[in-house]
Amino acid sequence: MTNVEPDLATVPETVGAAGAPHQIHVELGDRGNHRVPAGEPDGVIELANLEVFYDKFLAVSGVDMLFGSKEITALIGPSGCGKSTVLRCLNRMNDLVPGAHVFGDVRFHGVDMYGPGVDVIEVRRRIGMVFQKPNPFPKSIYDNVAYGPRVTGMKTDNMDDVVEQALHGAALWDEVKDKLKQSAFGLSGGQQQRLCIARTIATSPEVILMDEPCSALDPIATAKIEDLMVDLAKTYTIIIVTHNMQQAARVSHRTAFFTAAADEHGQRTGRLVEFDNTGKIFGNPADQRTEAYITGRFG
Amino acid sequence: MTTATLTRANPLTGGRRRDGIASAVFAGLLWLCLALICVFLFFMLAVIVQKGVARLDLNLITKQPSKIRPETAGVQSALLGTLWVGGITALIAMPLGIAAAVYLEEYANPAKWWNRAIELNIQNLAAVPAVIYGILTLGFIVRGPVSIGAVVMAGGVALALLILPVIIITTREALRSVPREIRDGSLALGATQWQTTWRQVLPAAVPGIATGSILAMSRAIGEAAPLILVGATTFVTFNPDGVLSKYTTLPVQIYNLVPQDRQAFRDLAYAAILLLIVVLLAMNAVAIWLRNRYQRRW
Repeated sequence: MTNVEPDLATVPETVGAAGAPHQIHVELGDRGNHRVPAGEPDGVIELANLEVFYDKFLAVSGVDMLFGSKEITALIGPSGCGKSTVLRCLNRMNDLVPGAHVFGDVRFHGVDMYGPGVDVIEVRRRIGMVFQKPNPFPKSIYDNVAYGPRVTGMKTDNMDDVVEQALHGAALWDEVKDKLKQSAFGLSGGQQQRLCIARTIATSPEVILMDEPCSALDPIATAKIEDLMVDLAKTYTIIIVTHNMQQAARVSHRTAFFTAAADEHGQRTGRLVEFDNTGKIFGNPADQRTEAYITGRFG
Repeated sequence: MTTATLTRANPLTGGRRRDGIASAVFAGLLWLCLALICVFLFFMLAVIVQKGVARLDLNLITKQPSKIRPETAGVQSALLGTLWVGGITALIAMPLGIAAAVYLEEYANPAKWWNRAIELNIQNLAAVPAVIYGILTLGFIVRGPVSIGAVVMAGGVALALLILPVIIITTREALRSVPREIRDGSLALGATQWQTTWRQVLPAAVPGIATGSILAMSRAIGEAAPLILVGATTFVTFNPDGVLSKYTTLPVQIYNLVPQDRQAFRDLAYAAILLLIVVLLAMNAVAIWLRNRYQRRW
């Protein structure tokens, strides 16, 4: 099947939580992601009864999920629904938040990620992360990419090759090959974000977490990152938090919809509402709340 | 309808006259404050230059002080004493201060009461008069348990204690200005906290740390009070030759020269003040240079 690239300039990019109250026409698999997985995925990360507290505040509760290998899983939902919190549990970045406590099971290939003897450094090397705002280090492009392999003590024959491979992998090599020694701050926002992706894949992770990776980018840069995600999914498992439902529909295989419900004390706790194939979520959601959200009537 | 809209007062200028006057008065006040400071500074500099420039010659830095011939005497021992004491101060205060700041900013848990207590105390220490540090050093280093006497090392310790709080506070500011995203990005790649601090946070904070430390050093170099207490001798005609040597410094020398009754001593004092200003300007220039050099790398 041939893919016709949509004219990106005309695709509205920012219909998010506060989208207009009308049916959003979502073209599934715009980015060439037609492989809708059948049945249970081959799990890489498994969540069972996940609960996250920030001090005494229960931020997320009762999340059970299975993230499939070499799939793109999108986490969507209104602000404050806990999707970023869930994402940050997956490489223990929540450890850095004072007062954060994670309960329940987070398993990586069946191993309890929060169990005794687990090396957080190894967790983060295997499960990389790309942030909302491009955050290159104040170093050269080369040193940005080489940083991960260097600090984790990766055995490399030739760092130049590692850097080149990673930059190729992030579709950035052709744009920066002549200025590897220049500051990463000279790149555009979209290039910086692809540099951050290159930096992440340089440590050869298995999973890449992306926390709204395109929210600070223009539509053209966003399109490049989305294309890149589809490419990366051939090698890596990708889990992405996004406010852009069309992005979730375009790139992901599976979509999880979260929302926040207030308890009797008015505390809002995030919950997983529905988790299914992206086509099902956007075409025929099982839960009323999911339908309300994706059609823009709620959130 | 159209005419009604047209005859209304211009909505873009209406009702803001008082605001305009208030901000003009405020701007005028600010300008006045600035002018006052500038006039004061200029006057001070003009007097010093006018009185000191005659003796700002090579003798000033090549000759030793003299009680008999102030016309051709210099302050070489004081200049070298200042450099020696300044060097010792930097060697003690900078590593200690930066390390303490890194601990407080990157490692300490602010929720623990003892860390908050330390923080509060450091801020208070920055406001303690310099003389108190002189007394402390006199009691513990010059005499008392250590008893090394009135030597370069003791002067360095007194000044290091004096500027430690300032260095800690400015270094913490510099570390705090490094964006959280840099730390997250490094940790998310599997770097340890130590690697993140050493390879990302500290290099990114170097301009701020260097500026703060050098400004603190400038303060130390200009101090006379604590050094008089720890026994910087007022009349020294030999150069310091080590950390256990007797010494004097420029501010102490100036303090000694000013009240002398012969005009030639006072001229020498003004020249020494100019020399001290030159040393301080040179240090500030280094601070600016360091800041620019490291910022260009970004």
